[in-house]
Amino acid sequence: MDVVLSAPSKSLTGEQPLALPSFADAVETNKAMVFSIGWHFLRDRAMAEELAQDVFLELHRHWNGMKSAEHIVFWLRRVASNRCIDEVRKSKLHPLRSLEESAEPTALERVQDPLLSAYLERMIASLPEKQRILVVLRYQEGMEPEEIAKVLEMNVSTVKTQISRALDLLRTKTAHRLKQQAEADGQ
Amino acid sequence: MNEFERQMQRALARREPSSDFTLRVLNAVATDPPPERVWKRWLREKWNATTRFAPVVAALVLAAGGAFYQQHQRLERGELAKHQLLVAVRIAGEKLHNAQRQVVSIGVDDSMN
Repeated sequence: MDVVLSAPSKSLTGEQPLALPSFADAVETNKAMVFSIGWHFLRDRAMAEELAQDVFLELHRHWNGMKSAEHIVFWLRRVASNRCIDEVRKSKLHPLRSLEESAEPTALERVQDPLLSAYLERMIASLPEKQRILVVLRYQEGMEPEEIAKVLEMNVSTVKTQISRALDLLRTKTAHRLKQQAEADGQ
Repeated sequence: MNEFERQMQRALARREPSSDFTLRVLNAVATDPPPERVWKRWLREKWNATTRFAPVVAALVLAAGGAFYQQHQRLERGELAKHQLLVAVRIAGEKLHNAQRQVVSIGVDDSMN
């Protein structure tokens, strides 16, 4: 897929665009972002690293079209997100079970803070693809729905609705789990 | 942002890839073929599309050429036949003219005698 993305029409953060760094600096600065998008989406370290490497290779091929550090981030987020969805569709790596069908953690798995994070990660990974990437961009990258809509070329209202649905589902699931744990602790 | 969303942020905190990731990317970039220019790629794609239909085009050209050659041969044969006919008519005309002249000269001789 030939990817040519234009720079965002104006700074998403309202700040002045940063000067273009060297390619090596761009990799060093953004590797955690790209890898984490892959990791939180695919839940597979090797696949996430391979995906991140491919994304940076693609960035190198389009390097002449890059206008600023901000444009690079925008481009990387868009390409990484699309690659994640493509990867899942290509390899039929759909979640084995949907979130509604996901089993609750075992009784040994106490939903305390670090474990709650791991539990949430697993639940996020079982969300439908679109909702999953929206949640990753919203909470990993801290992006506003308007920014996400620009990156993924979606309606802002669709982004908000999908994130809201995903959150409701995750909240219900987690609350249910916490309730179960409280009952188990009370006994 | 409520507590649940803060928990989501903690769950989705960024992670670092392996320590040699940047090096691997730079090595991959070094061995990656240089990006092809747009016009070159356009030409290559057009060429590929053309060569895909080359056998069909060649067959069409051969068939058209064969038909044209046959038509040309037929016209040439027609022209030759026409030329031969004209020559024959001219020869016949000359012979007829000679015969007429002889007949006329015999008639004149008889009247004088």
